[in-house]
Amino acid sequence: MAEQIVKPDLKFINDVIAAGGESLKKCFQCATCSVVCNVTPDDRPFPRKEMVHAQWGLKDRLFANPDIWLCHQCSDCTAYCPRGAKPGEVLGAVRKLSLQHYSTPGFLAKMVGDPKFLVLLLAVPAVIFLLIITYMGNLNMASIPRGEEGGIVYAKFIPVPFIDAVFIAAATFAAIVFVTGVLKYWKDMSQGVSLSGSLGASIIAVVTDILSHKRFRKCDVTKGRSTSHMLVFFSFVGLAITTTIAVVYIYGLKWESPYPLSDPMKILGNASAAALLLGLALVIINRLKNVDKAGIGSYYDWLFIGVVTSVVVTGVLSELLRLGDIAQMAYPIYFIHLVTVFFLFAYAPFSKMAHMVYRATAMVFAKQSGRE
Amino acid sequence: MEKKYGVYICKGCGIGESVDMQKLIAQAAKAAKLPADKIKTHDILCSPEGIALISADMKDGGVNAMTIAACSPRVKYEEFNFPGCVVSRINLRELLSWNQTPNTADTQNLAEDYVRMGAIRAQKSEVPEPNILPDLSKTILVIGGGITGLTAALESANAGYQVVLVEKEAELGGWGAKLYKQTPREYPYDRLEEPAVIAKIKEVQGNGNIKVYTSTTVEKTEGQPGLYDVTLRKNGGSETIIKAGAIVLAAGWKPYDATRLTHLGYGLPNVVTSVEFEEIAKKGKITRPSDGKEAKKVAFIQCAGSRDPEHLPYCSSFCCATSLKQAKYVREKNQDAMVFIYYKDIRTPGQTELFYKNMQNDAGVLLTKADVTGISEAGGGNLFVEAENTFLGEKIKVEADLVVLAIGVVPATAAPQQYLDKLAVEGKKGDEAKKTFLESTAKPEMLLNLVYKQGPEIPTLEGAYGFADSNFICFQYETRRTGIYAAGCIRQPMNMADAADDAAGAALKAIQCLEHVSQGIAVHPRAWDASFPDPLMTRCTSCKRCTEECPFGAIEEDAKGTPFFKINRCRRCGTCMGSCPERIVSFKDYHVDMIGSMIKSLDVPDEGIRIICLVCENDAYPALDTAGFNHIQMHPGIRFIPVRCLGSTNLVWVADAFSRGIDGLLLLGCKFGENYQCHFVKGSELADYRFSKVQETLDKLQLEADRCNLMQVAITDYDKLPDMINEFIKKVEAFGPNPFKGM
Repeated sequence: MAEQIVKPDLKFINDVIAAGGESLKKCFQCATCSVVCNVTPDDRPFPRKEMVHAQWGLKDRLFANPDIWLCHQCSDCTAYCPRGAKPGEVLGAVRKLSLQHYSTPGFLAKMVGDPKFLVLLLAVPAVIFLLIITYMGNLNMASIPRGEEGGIVYAKFIPVPFIDAVFIAAATFAAIVFVTGVLKYWKDMSQGVSLSGSLGASIIAVVTDILSHKRFRKCDVTKGRSTSHMLVFFSFVGLAITTTIAVVYIYGLKWESPYPLSDPMKILGNASAAALLLGLALVIINRLKNVDKAGIGSYYDWLFIGVVTSVVVTGVLSELLRLGDIAQMAYPIYFIHLVTVFFLFAYAPFSKMAHMVYRATAMVFAKQSGRE
Repeated sequence: MEKKYGVYICKGCGIGESVDMQKLIAQAAKAAKLPADKIKTHDILCSPEGIALISADMKDGGVNAMTIAACSPRVKYEEFNFPGCVVSRINLRELLSWNQTPNTADTQNLAEDYVRMGAIRAQKSEVPEPNILPDLSKTILVIGGGITGLTAALESANAGYQVVLVEKEAELGGWGAKLYKQTPREYPYDRLEEPAVIAKIKEVQGNGNIKVYTSTTVEKTEGQPGLYDVTLRKNGGSETIIKAGAIVLAAGWKPYDATRLTHLGYGLPNVVTSVEFEEIAKKGKITRPSDGKEAKKVAFIQCAGSRDPEHLPYCSSFCCATSLKQAKYVREKNQDAMVFIYYKDIRTPGQTELFYKNMQNDAGVLLTKADVTGISEAGGGNLFVEAENTFLGEKIKVEADLVVLAIGVVPATAAPQQYLDKLAVEGKKGDEAKKTFLESTAKPEMLLNLVYKQGPEIPTLEGAYGFADSNFICFQYETRRTGIYAAGCIRQPMNMADAADDAAGAALKAIQCLEHVSQGIAVHPRAWDASFPDPLMTRCTSCKRCTEECPFGAIEEDAKGTPFFKINRCRRCGTCMGSCPERIVSFKDYHVDMIGSMIKSLDVPDEGIRIICLVCENDAYPALDTAGFNHIQMHPGIRFIPVRCLGSTNLVWVADAFSRGIDGLLLLGCKFGENYQCHFVKGSELADYRFSKVQETLDKLQLEADRCNLMQVAITDYDKLPDMINEFIKKVEAFGPNPFKGM
């Protein structure tokens, strides 16, 4: 390869360290990580080269690279690293910085990655929904109207159109951020790389890989992770289908909630929620079990796990409290549910949630560029 | 001393079950010329009861020359220690009960042969009397006032010895005193320290036992251990002669000549050596020589001149730690500054590894393995560092504002060695070539200026790149000049912590030298030995073979060319005894006649093969013992005779052996080469050379030259030894019996 002027960036090195890659500098480039990694391509394998790029503060090389996303953080590398450099965690930190790099506005990305701003970020949806509640005159929970059968009806607490307006706005924002970020990422990766094959075919192949968790199953050290991830993943798919049906019910069939528990949509939704709870429990147990080998993970990881857990727990509780008619708890919990759902979707491009978009993009790019 | 003999045979460790004891006693009585009831046996001779048996015989002018047939002389030496007596040990355990089939005729013969040889050894030995020279000095001269010299001086002085410390510079402290800070030496190895040498200088200056001469060099060193007369000269001016008993050579090192490193940019304005960088750091901010601007991107090039066949082929050991330390200067003085370190391999020996790990963890210290291909100007005083084979997987070019070359170590011995080696080469060409060389070449700074026939400095060690002579495997401070001990970077590149340890070791060696010389015993490695070579000078032909072959320069020649011993330099290896064609060199308990008589005492039957094996006591014999310890079967036709060193084997023993009808003669000695480090430098090589001559004689006797063979054995080769020996036996068997058998 031709000689390149290398401009190391000390600030970036410090950023990686601060983002959860505090073990970064321990790497002495023995390449054990690349040898034990089951998901890396054989040609120019990761994460050895990513480690030196990070140590030398060469952020452009790291960002414009599908490899940081091809990594599934199995932590085989971390477990076998003779120096405790935890390449898996370092790559996690680099991915976080990559999201901050590609997701605009950048300040929002920094805020999501920084525990100092957690309260402020939560305050945004909290204020929005509080305004709606105030506008509806529902601050006094006793005065909230009941349904025809006297039960709790959340649509009467915060009417569906308000919720949909807020979430459509949030989702649109997230989608725009995702699209611009992914396009920029694709453009950066494409520099000097020749792509071949049909994009459609690559996308289909990647979707198949994702659905089967083919790559994830190659992990050795954190074997259980593919199962727990699969549970979480398909729960989300189930919940997405549930939401779609709900839209059809409300706007197509003009059916109003709540729906009976025997309704197929309700069954799917509740089953998905149960699967998600189980999946999350496994995620947390696996992480705690593998602390010695894979590391405890960063704030960024735990924020994502925390938000998803909050969404599902408050969701399930909302339903149970509604059915149990415990209004004093039901409304506040439902409020929290809405706040956390907003957090999950509106901030998705800046949080670990974004991994699904960027990893999928990187996988498609890898197929197109013959990296697999 | 009138000798009264006793023979004691141990029956323990399987010896009693391997031989017919009554027959053995009868043979022993015959060999020792004692009545059979005077030959004593014991079930466990090394037990208090067994020792009491011997002690009882010693009472009231009783036995004072005992032959003890038991285990190897390398074990139980405390039990069988009888001061003032001749003790001849016979090894019937490792060489018989543990490696032979019990109760066969062959085993019985073997035991009887060993008992006969042991009895003869007792008969031919006298108790050595130490040779103590008068007017011995107990002062230790330390040459060099750096960390090594200062430590050696302090260690010696604190042990109660007088020390003279000579330093050629005006100030004590050497390189250590020129440092800004020192590499951490204490856990957790993350804080730079004040140079330890500063406190040592004060300590030395305040120590009443140490006399310091600065701006002084050694002009002449005459004499031998305990009796050195050393002429010191102050800055080419006044002269002082001091007496010393031993010398620690700690003359240290010089940085490699950086002007030869133009390929690494030396000569460009902002390229400095690590030595020059210390001066910069000492002044405060890290600034550049060209414009005084603060340097914020500093590149360190490791192995600048080291590990490079064009320059210094070796690793200089501490440059990696030095650069990491200097990286810390840069980072501590400015948190926004970056350091790039280009290395071949990071080598931080010992606990320094922890410092490396700490420095590696600093975000601003960027490391990569690399071959630096060039340093060029980047404008504004900045420099491009170009490198290939980096961890980044490509050629890289980085802009730095200061480049530091981690310069290697050249020992102070290198220049004199090079000069003397060239002089020797030219000298061999003739007087004219020698004269031309002397006139055309500047004489480098000599360190010792020894008045020795063998040359003015300690000898060059093959493959040591100019570092001081050192028996680096077993006795690292020992040079081939007894009484002169090398320590610190003159011996091998090392950091200051290691140099201080080295200094303590060398000081102990110097003390050992003084104490042993004052008792008239060998200094080392035969540190117990009171015997010494005592030549019968009336028969000396002044052939000078001994002066040529003595590995330690212990034999000088007088004006008429007659050799004489500087006995305190002698290490009692017996190389002179082996070399002497007149066989006039003898020790009280080791001489040509003794081994010859032992060989002649062997019973050589008409049937069956008989091999004599002369075994070096230092490595080959322990290997044999280990083979015995592991019960590895050995051919019963072989008789092992330990010798001090194969260098002491005299050719007459060949005639003694073959004229008796012995079928083969095997020599087991150390591996050749200085880098193997035979205790006595090259004893087995000398033996090999001598035996190459004897083979002509064997040819004349119509005996196959290959009946005589030398094998090189390392102490660890015990498992290979039986096969090696068996192969030799097979070869000899193929020749058929020695025709002199039975004559």
